[in-house]
Amino acid sequence: MQALPLQKKSIWAARILFLLPVTLFFFFFFIYPFVFTVYTSFTSWRGIGGMAFNGLANYKKLILDPTFRKALGNNLIWALCQGFIQVPLACLVAMILVRKPKGWAFLRTVYYLPNVISTVALAMVWVAIYNVNGPLNAILGRLFGMEAKNWLGNPDTALFAVIFQTVIYIGYFMIVLLASAMNIPASLYEAAKIDGASTFQQELHITLPMLRGTLITTMTLAMAYGMRHFESTFLMTGGGPAYATTTMGIDLYLKMDALRYSEASTAGVFLIILGTVVITLLRKIFGKSDPMSEMAQ
Amino acid sequence: MKERQTPLWYFANTLKWVLLITLLALALLPLLWLLVSSLRTNLELQVSPFGWPAKMQWANYANALAMASLPRLLLNSVVVAASAVVLNTLITSMAAFILSREHFKGRDIIYTIFTAGVLVPVISFMVPYFSLITRSGLYNTLFALIFVYSAVNIPVSIFLVTAFMKSIPKELEEAAIIDGCGFFKRFSKIILPLSRSGLVTAATFCFIFSWNEFVMAMLLTSSIESRTIQLGIKFFSSQFITDYSSMYAAVIITIIPSIGAYIFLHDKIIGGLTTGGVKG
Repeated sequence: MQALPLQKKSIWAARILFLLPVTLFFFFFFIYPFVFTVYTSFTSWRGIGGMAFNGLANYKKLILDPTFRKALGNNLIWALCQGFIQVPLACLVAMILVRKPKGWAFLRTVYYLPNVISTVALAMVWVAIYNVNGPLNAILGRLFGMEAKNWLGNPDTALFAVIFQTVIYIGYFMIVLLASAMNIPASLYEAAKIDGASTFQQELHITLPMLRGTLITTMTLAMAYGMRHFESTFLMTGGGPAYATTTMGIDLYLKMDALRYSEASTAGVFLIILGTVVITLLRKIFGKSDPMSEMAQ
Repeated sequence: MKERQTPLWYFANTLKWVLLITLLALALLPLLWLLVSSLRTNLELQVSPFGWPAKMQWANYANALAMASLPRLLLNSVVVAASAVVLNTLITSMAAFILSREHFKGRDIIYTIFTAGVLVPVISFMVPYFSLITRSGLYNTLFALIFVYSAVNIPVSIFLVTAFMKSIPKELEEAAIIDGCGFFKRFSKIILPLSRSGLVTAATFCFIFSWNEFVMAMLLTSSIESRTIQLGIKFFSSQFITDYSSMYAAVIITIIPSIGAYIFLHDKIIGGLTTGGVKG
């Protein structure tokens, strides 16, 4: 195409005009906050007054802070449970549904349903379910004669209880894995059947290897979500009892609430590094996966 | 497929259905329990966590709407979610048009930067968002939430809408150029109408996020004039301290829009989740 210089200029003006709104929003809500968080983590800022530079003091303080350590440990437990229990379970369900048993499309739709309902509402229901006089204790009491437990109030069971309720969110990983499994060519299975491979052998030698890339993506993503976990724990226990369920996000919030802004920023830097850099690193180590499926929430 | 129906096959098949039905129950029973509890009396709730209401207590819903300043909070949520959806789809469709239909150096880098935003944990931005919103005088206004929600959804919307616009055949646009369509007409008359389905998907994700969001709403608003329904059911629950059934009714009211959107648009949502898997 032969464009006159004037036309070329105007097309560039139009392009910039169209990109400008998103760029401005992206700058103010992604780039600036990132720089701000990193910068204030090296200062002793408390929300008002100047930002005096204090080097790595916040980092030292945070690493030695027992509540932050507890939070980091809990986030690691979260990440492992999400990556090595949640995703394999989602994968198992996807492998069942890809064979299209009766009602598979309905099941797929319902399994994703909890993902569209507000965490506030679901957290409230789970608090009621775990209540001493709640449905869970009633069921366990009737079936096994178990004594009623205060699931969320007891430091020994609280973390397990808040992690367990995330099983209702397997729908997202299941849908991504199912879409990937549906793309496996049917001819592979037909050839295997001719060779006399059982269903189990087909799953083991065809489905799983073909899903490898998507599995790595979903596991990495699930672990990153585990590292940044905040909302349902905050709503169900506020991080208690006695910090038993606290996470880095909750620690950040509590520090911010106590006007320890730069310490909160330091916790934020840890969150970004552990939640984001880890993804990139794992992707580098395990090689190419499916970056696109990471995009949808 | 002919399976040999051995005892092992029966065992595996039973196990399969036990798993599928357990997960179905975990997804649905908490919501059903909430619905049933919202129609029982408080006395019934105290006697047993289970059970059908002796008489449907629709009054719980009237109480909820009367007690919790619920109408105002619902209105705020509607305004915030609708505005965020409009703002987000408007700006991301413009950018996606450039990123999908125009060819120039550096285009893919811009796309990667925008979409990589999805990897950033937004909760780590609590301090800067609070600082930014306070200093710009938007603290405790609906605009604070509208801007934050539109912005946080940029990566997802750019990803979905760009992928959709890329799938539109070039020929359609070339024909329009020959007919004398300029830059703006190509966008408004050709690409935008053809992308309706992709825009609806992006808008649905943005709506569900904005309607359900809690953390930023808690951080950036402080009074009923600008708080959303999610904060309402969390913090105004003290009003319900002796009236759990009305609180459950309030929760049911707040989840109706999400469930409604899901019932009508679940194909778009599931399609959006698998956009990468199919096209990538």
